[in-house]
Amino acid sequence: MNPWYDDAGAATLGSVFRYVIPEAVLLGTVCLLFLFGCVYNRRWLWGCVSLLGLVGAMLVAGLYRPGSMAVAETAPVFTDALADLVRWTALLSGLVLLGLTWPEVPSSRAAEYYGCLLTLLAGVALVGRANDLLTLFVALELISIPTYVLLYLPYRSATTREAALKYFLLSVASSAVMLFGFSYLYGVAGSLKLPVLTATLSQLPTDVLSPLALLGAILALAGLSFRLTLVPFHFYAPDVYQAGPAGVIGVLAVLPKLAGFIALGRLFGWLSANPAVLPFPPATSVPSILWILAVLTMTVGNILALRQNSLRRLLAYSSVAHSGYMLMGGVIASAWSEAPAATAAAIAPLVGGMDALLFYLLAYALMTFGVFAILTSLDTPDHTVDNIDELAGMGRSHPVRGLLLTIFLLSLIGMPFTAGFVGKFLLFVGAFTAPAAHPELSRLYQGLAIIAAVNAAVAAVYYLRLIGVLYLREPVRPLPRRWAILPTLTAIVLAIATVLFGTYAQPLLQVSQKAAPRPAPAAVQHSSQP
Amino acid sequence: MSEPIGLVWLILLLPLAGAVTAALLTPARFGRTLAHVPMIVACACAALLAVTLLTQWERIPQGQLLSEPWTWFAAGRLHVRVSLAVDALALTMLTMITVVSSCIGLFSVGYMAGERGYARYFAVMSLFVFAMCGLVLANNFFLLLGFWELVGLCSYLLIGYYFVRPSAAAAARKAFLVTRLGDVGFVLGIFWLWKLSGWQTDLTAVFDHLLTHQPPQEEITAACLLLLCGAVGKSAQFPLYVWLPDAMEGPTPVSALIHAATMVTAGVYLVGRCAPLFALSPTAVITTAWLGGLTALLAAFLALAQTDLKRILAYSTVSQLGYMFLALGTLGAVHPTLAVIAALFHLLTHALFKALLFLSAGSVMHALGGIIDLRQFGGLRHRLPLTHLCFLCGAAALAGVPLLSGFWSKDLILESVIAASEQSPAYGGGYYLLLLMSLLTALLTAFYTFRAYFLAFWGPERLPPQLQGHVHEASAVMSLPLVVLAIGAVGAGAILEPFTHALSQFVATTPALQQAATVVTAPAWQPHIDWTVASISTVLAATGIALAAGLFARGEPEQLPAVLAPVMTLSQRELYIEAVYRAVLIRPAEGLAFLAKVADQAWDGLLHLLAALPGMIGQWLRVMHNGLVQFYALAMMLGLVVLMIFVVLGLSR
Repeated sequence: MNPWYDDAGAATLGSVFRYVIPEAVLLGTVCLLFLFGCVYNRRWLWGCVSLLGLVGAMLVAGLYRPGSMAVAETAPVFTDALADLVRWTALLSGLVLLGLTWPEVPSSRAAEYYGCLLTLLAGVALVGRANDLLTLFVALELISIPTYVLLYLPYRSATTREAALKYFLLSVASSAVMLFGFSYLYGVAGSLKLPVLTATLSQLPTDVLSPLALLGAILALAGLSFRLTLVPFHFYAPDVYQAGPAGVIGVLAVLPKLAGFIALGRLFGWLSANPAVLPFPPATSVPSILWILAVLTMTVGNILALRQNSLRRLLAYSSVAHSGYMLMGGVIASAWSEAPAATAAAIAPLVGGMDALLFYLLAYALMTFGVFAILTSLDTPDHTVDNIDELAGMGRSHPVRGLLLTIFLLSLIGMPFTAGFVGKFLLFVGAFTAPAAHPELSRLYQGLAIIAAVNAAVAAVYYLRLIGVLYLREPVRPLPRRWAILPTLTAIVLAIATVLFGTYAQPLLQVSQKAAPRPAPAAVQHSSQP
Repeated sequence: MSEPIGLVWLILLLPLAGAVTAALLTPARFGRTLAHVPMIVACACAALLAVTLLTQWERIPQGQLLSEPWTWFAAGRLHVRVSLAVDALALTMLTMITVVSSCIGLFSVGYMAGERGYARYFAVMSLFVFAMCGLVLANNFFLLLGFWELVGLCSYLLIGYYFVRPSAAAAARKAFLVTRLGDVGFVLGIFWLWKLSGWQTDLTAVFDHLLTHQPPQEEITAACLLLLCGAVGKSAQFPLYVWLPDAMEGPTPVSALIHAATMVTAGVYLVGRCAPLFALSPTAVITTAWLGGLTALLAAFLALAQTDLKRILAYSTVSQLGYMFLALGTLGAVHPTLAVIAALFHLLTHALFKALLFLSAGSVMHALGGIIDLRQFGGLRHRLPLTHLCFLCGAAALAGVPLLSGFWSKDLILESVIAASEQSPAYGGGYYLLLLMSLLTALLTAFYTFRAYFLAFWGPERLPPQLQGHVHEASAVMSLPLVVLAIGAVGAGAILEPFTHALSQFVATTPALQQAATVVTAPAWQPHIDWTVASISTVLAATGIALAAGLFARGEPEQLPAVLAPVMTLSQRELYIEAVYRAVLIRPAEGLAFLAKVADQAWDGLLHLLAALPGMIGQWLRVMHNGLVQFYALAMMLGLVVLMIFVVLGLSR
């Protein structure tokens, strides 16, 4: 059976093409880059072409809005508020990344660099629109494969080669595991379509839920955990972060995580049309596993970051810890599926889980891109800034960039008036007030919030140490006094957004809530009846 | 702008723009000479706009303007919305603030010329005007709180303007901390109200809700008392008044604007604005009355023997604010409009004559090169004729000389207290006692005001030796505001109320006051002149002035009859209240702090131990990150296996 056309009246690829035109524009630009890059390879030219491609994709995405899909159940791609949010995030990230990576793009390999970047962005945008497991897999690989190339492109040295190879090997292994899990899920549900899959699995009574389906879910989770750097699938992160070029690491720290969480949400039903009916409700052990993974990830990440003297390894571990916080959103979303109707109605105005996760993802993208924008502006081809001591006295020698870096670090800590604070606040409040069928379960959720709060306090130590280094220590050796206008400008925009959304979070919150609506009390009531 | 609410936004944002512009001028060279322009232009324009709005007010329906609210932040049930509300009460305050700040800004140009941080001064002053306007206009308790704190911050920055002087830094800190003590209560009160009023924070919504769903008496009393805490701190009432006399360390125009005319009246305004809430709680109201009455008498007594001219004026400010609280404290026993209008009327006239007195004192200080101690100078009436005249106008208004502004407003307060003692069902005797206290205060006020006046301006000329021949009247830019304020101090009272009743008719249209009137039983109030009160207070003022003239008109300081000497000593030592505070509050707090420090060090050691733990675990975990890709893959697969075992165990359970 051909999985693309598995039903009568199935959508043809042609009829759904209009839902992915912006992605097609991106990939078309990629074709241009690869075809003509070998003829004349210059950074400014291909940078401009990529910018044009991105702007073109944005114009298409903004101006051409095909209505909702008639055959959403059977089409390989579909569209909803979340898909649009992911696409816009990818496109805007593209703009940010063009500015951020400018200093490190090698002029002789610029077309390839930008080609890989745009492919990756198209992959991210497609993850939000994937309606079946195969499209999802293809989209995820569209992110992974260009990353292998990107890691090695700018600075071709033995260390970057090692990093790229490590990432390649482990990523391929994880993709295989994920695919293996997908095959089990397909076997149990009899369909590759995500709506059919979640509906079929959620209709099975939990006590007879096929072990195969659970195993499939665990395998898929393990595969995605690599992208999300969940412990114990995080081992590659510090090594790769340390060796890779800063701009690419910025990409790696944000976009695969975004894609991974969206894929996880789609697969586990948190981001499906009806988030009250989940294929793996808390009665199965999947949410408990997520709970354990979240606690493990944030704790191990923060502990390992504490004693780091390498800036990039520190950022790697910190990004691991942030994944742990974000995974809380999934735990909360699972909890909502079994909320008693009365509870759901009483505390309906509170956080639903995935909206908090999306907000955190966006805030995390802002501050992480910001940190790496500063790093790319400091790197030179011969020397990458890595030891924390190199940043000593940066507050005086580079006042603007020092201030920007401080803002991003404060946001990573979760200081009030930064976007990071609002994100953490939403997640913690969400976990603390998550509805639960049993008191023990509710204590587990509250425990999660407390563990996360303790972790956030521990994390403040190493971020504050970094800020201390920036302002209180004498420079050991001077940083390059080179103007890096594009990354600095990018960082300024990101810092303004970080502070703006920390002070006035409503717009970003509304976008997240629109993309991930909380389960309506009526729907919860429906699912609570056997 | 056609939309009236747009006009209000403009009034609010003009001073902010002035502050930003002045701050941007700081690094520029001409910032040292031209930084006053943004503040004065902004305040003057805002004042013009406020007056325009005042003249157009009749066309406003329902006596209130509300801006379109937009959500600032929301969490759960807490919705904090940015919204402005203008009613007659707010508009009166707004006009007073912008007019007085324009005058004082102008005066500062001469007074502050050549000071270090000239631009900083005007930036913060302008920011203060913005914050004060915001405080008056805010229609949301949290927005109000934000401006309330911003006002406190500006006050802190300006008291500590000469921050290199340790006493100024200490005074700034003291003012900030003491008012913060009250603010704690204020915040708690806001949260309590939020809970009582069905999770709303907009002032108008809270009033509407509480008047339709009356909460239990104890709860609304507690909430009102907590709000009162904030008001007491900001308006320097007993027992939190101690910061205001020290706040005179700031430049004199700051004392005039912030610590006499505007900021310290914020507490009075808050209580007046929340009249519908206080009308629900007779206990909170009588507490307000007693606090006000006590403060008025106490501060008047403390002002008797001070030798620092600005300190006398500071205590007199505290005392007059006490009068205003006393007037508010009759709310409920008398019709709310009478109580609030009496307080507001005195607030307005006090703003004029006290700003005038401070600016005159500033003019003296300017002429004498910073000397303000009454023991070191005297007999200045020939050297500084204009200042002398202005000070006399202000002093006469403060003392309650008939027909001047202070006379009329004080009479209205006395009238409201008399009415309260007649009408209050439960506290009639208390109000009678308060009436006697306020009459005594009026006598003391006249005495200490003219004591200061005679010592400074009468008798033979006495000048510090280094200044002989240099003392002269200040420039026109400083004289003009003095004259404007003097005219206001002399005439404003008579024009505003006793003969025209313009103020009471205007303010009575305030919706909040009408709401408050619905819950009290007191009979309606008809504005009139009470000639009995007027004659009594005339006698008191004359007696006080005559006493002061008899004792001090020779201009030679501190030649007191033996009977008065111990009283004056007691007053000069400020009743040892600071010492009592030190012994009762500060010493135990220091002891507690020491204990806490010891305990903290013990904890700290324990925590260091705990903090070292993650580091040690980290050392151990780091071994696993050995860079071997085979090991990484193995770890991942092992992790996967563990997860699977977990699932399988979960299944078989």
